[in-house]
Amino acid sequence: MHDRKLIYFKVLMIVINLIAVLFVTIFIYVTTQKICDNFIAREFINNVVSLPWNPFRNILLSIGFFCILIASFIIREIICPGSSKVIYLSLLIDLVISISIVYILNFNYNGILFLVIANVITYAKGTRGRYVLMIFAVASIFIADYELIAINFRLYSINDYISYYDSVTQQYLLGFFNTVVSVNITAFIIFCIYVIQNQLGTINEVNTLYAQLSKANDDLQAANEQLKEYSMITEKMGETKERNRLAREIHDTLGHTLTGISAGIDACLATIDCSVQDTRRQLEIISEVTREGIKEVRRSVNQLRPDALERLNLESAIHKMIHEIESMANTNVLFESEVTNLKFDADEEDAIYRVIQEGLTNAIRHGKATRIWVQIRRSEEEIILTIKDNGVGCKTMKKGFGTRHIIERIEMLNGRVEFEGTNGFTVTVRIPIRWGEEYD
Amino acid sequence: MNKKRYRIILIIVSAVLILSAAVTVAKRDKAAVLEFGVFAGSNWDVANANSYVIIDKAIERFEAEHDNVKIHYYSGILKEDYSEWFSQQVLLGRTPDIFMILSNDMNQLASLGVMKDLSELINRDSNFDKEAYYPAALLSGEYNGIQYALPYETVPTLMFVNKSLLQKEGIAVPDIDWTWQDLYNISEKVTKDIDGDGILDEFGTYNYDWLDAAHTNGTLLFDENDMEINLSNNKVIQAVKFTKQLYDLNQGRKVTQEDFDSGNVAFMPLPFSDYRTYKTYPYKIKKYLKFKWDCITLPAGENGGNISEVNTLLMGISDKTENEILAWEFLKLLTYDKDIQMDIFRFSQGASVLKEVTGSKEAEVILQEYMEESEKVIDNELLSRVIEQGTVAPQILKYKEAIALATSEIQGIIENNKNIDSALKILQRKINQYLKQ
Repeated sequence: MHDRKLIYFKVLMIVINLIAVLFVTIFIYVTTQKICDNFIAREFINNVVSLPWNPFRNILLSIGFFCILIASFIIREIICPGSSKVIYLSLLIDLVISISIVYILNFNYNGILFLVIANVITYAKGTRGRYVLMIFAVASIFIADYELIAINFRLYSINDYISYYDSVTQQYLLGFFNTVVSVNITAFIIFCIYVIQNQLGTINEVNTLYAQLSKANDDLQAANEQLKEYSMITEKMGETKERNRLAREIHDTLGHTLTGISAGIDACLATIDCSVQDTRRQLEIISEVTREGIKEVRRSVNQLRPDALERLNLESAIHKMIHEIESMANTNVLFESEVTNLKFDADEEDAIYRVIQEGLTNAIRHGKATRIWVQIRRSEEEIILTIKDNGVGCKTMKKGFGTRHIIERIEMLNGRVEFEGTNGFTVTVRIPIRWGEEYD
Repeated sequence: MNKKRYRIILIIVSAVLILSAAVTVAKRDKAAVLEFGVFAGSNWDVANANSYVIIDKAIERFEAEHDNVKIHYYSGILKEDYSEWFSQQVLLGRTPDIFMILSNDMNQLASLGVMKDLSELINRDSNFDKEAYYPAALLSGEYNGIQYALPYETVPTLMFVNKSLLQKEGIAVPDIDWTWQDLYNISEKVTKDIDGDGILDEFGTYNYDWLDAAHTNGTLLFDENDMEINLSNNKVIQAVKFTKQLYDLNQGRKVTQEDFDSGNVAFMPLPFSDYRTYKTYPYKIKKYLKFKWDCITLPAGENGGNISEVNTLLMGISDKTENEILAWEFLKLLTYDKDIQMDIFRFSQGASVLKEVTGSKEAEVILQEYMEESEKVIDNELLSRVIEQGTVAPQILKYKEAIALATSEIQGIIENNKNIDSALKILQRKINQYLKQ
């Protein structure tokens, strides 16, 4: 609020008030002298209800009070601008001084209180103290009304002194005095309007900035949506690429092998009646091709396995995953396995790996768990995997993509999945142990 | 930067403090000066050669008793100028600390708040007892029930009796508890045409008006709460009717001061101060030379007593005085000190406001001292009784004006032979309208 214009306004108001106050006091003094010179003091006294204490002293007092007002103004606005202690103290002094001036003028002029209010308005950004000052100042304007106070108290009136003069002079004097009063009020109103407009300007600025911010926010959101779309497209493209690769792989390996096997068996069918020897040789070749084909298929499947599993065995991969998750989320994961040398078929390992991954993710994401227990046991016919956490759990299961994925994977292995949502969340997976050919 | 600001503020504050301290010290070293507002001459409009004697004596005593205190007054302000002079002082803010108050100014000054409310000073001072004053005298210093001034000197109204005239007509001087009927009877006897020119030239009363009659008929003219005059009650009607009877005796001939001075009037109301002045040397030679005279009480009406209006010179303290205690002490010295109050009998024309002083043997001796041996001195008891029972002008702002209006209108009613009852009702309404303005 270090607005030069505001300071000029205040200086102007101080000057107007100084003129008004000096006019009242000096006018009363001069008129008193005239009354005494004309020896009509007794008559004058007869027609008044009260008299100023001492007209000359009133002039000196009001000048003195104005000096304090000006000093307070200079300290507040020029020497110590912005110090809230100085502001409050000086505003309080202003109020007291103004009321004193109004008092020695016997409420004939109370416009000086507008000066205090103007100052309070200027510093209207403060806290509670300002409201108290404001209430005081406004209340004092209402209370310090001559007509109101004169009902109950004896007050001298400038009009009594004005009525000493002839009617033309009276009109000029009253006109001048009322003009000064009006100019003061006008200055105050203009001042208020100026302050209000200033504050309106600030509000408009804030509104403009806010609109800009909203627009930027909208743009950002649109960009985000677009990015999501891009990422989906990218994903789709990867998927398509992968499908193409799979198709090619299947065509190259399975197709090739199966074609070979089919051709070989056709040859066997032709030779089996005439030469068992040839047929046997032929079948051996077919067996060889089949084995090769299986190898090819395995190689292809291997290419589709998760990175960790591709390079490490299942146990190490699980440990690595747990370690990564622990380091990423603030969660403690305990892994124990009763099965020594964890080694299963690749699809089983895949499923186990994926289930654990999905389970841990769910426990952290949905359960907000801090501790997770992962256990792998082996019963006579099944491998039992449990993932248990201390998270919030859930009363009713809502099958999301993750859990459906788990179920699908396990069902492909003829296994079963159980979910339990009380006391944390528990996933129990049972996978039947395969009997039969073991590929190693 | 901040330090510099604090230093500036500190310098300003300390400068103000040092300055105010210096002013206080300078003030304390100076001797206290009490301004005393006082006028020359007598409050009772009689000649007085000893205007300042009592005051100078009191000042001398006061200054001797109090170190470093001076009392100052402007000498030479005449009584007729005093009201204007005092008003100017008030206007200019130079109200004296302690001052005399003319009875005409009392109400106005009290309502302006020029005088200090003395109640607290009176209550605080254990050496001061209000009961020592005549109640009527004390009452005249009250306004709206508040004691603003103390009485200094008092003057009751007495009835002048032309002893020579009564002697000539073979009538005895009336007792002090005489009545209207006595006054009327004597007046009827003495009202006659002596030189036989067909015009009356000897009269019963001069200057005796309806107000004197009303006072002696137990009338309360004003209701101080309502600020209204009451002229339509029976006591006032009786008083006016009695005044008319006396007027009718003169058959329309107006009695003048000349008639009175030539010794052709039997009775005239006269302030005690006039009695004292013209009964004693040197002013004795100026007035009422041709006959022997004396003073008695005013005659009592049917419903009243032998009482009259008591006029009191008051003194007050300025509401803005800086030396309240000193001013009070000096006021007390003037109005409450027996020695000073006794001087009123020695050097002034009124009576002391203290019961003990006026009723004392010493006062009687002083009064006798200045009288011719053949003259009878006024009875101390009579004086005390008249002051004691006296009525006081009510504390109404426009009292004087209202009474002046009433007197001139009633004069008209009497002279024009109007119906008194209804005319008084009309007059009452008129005056009350005036009072409310």
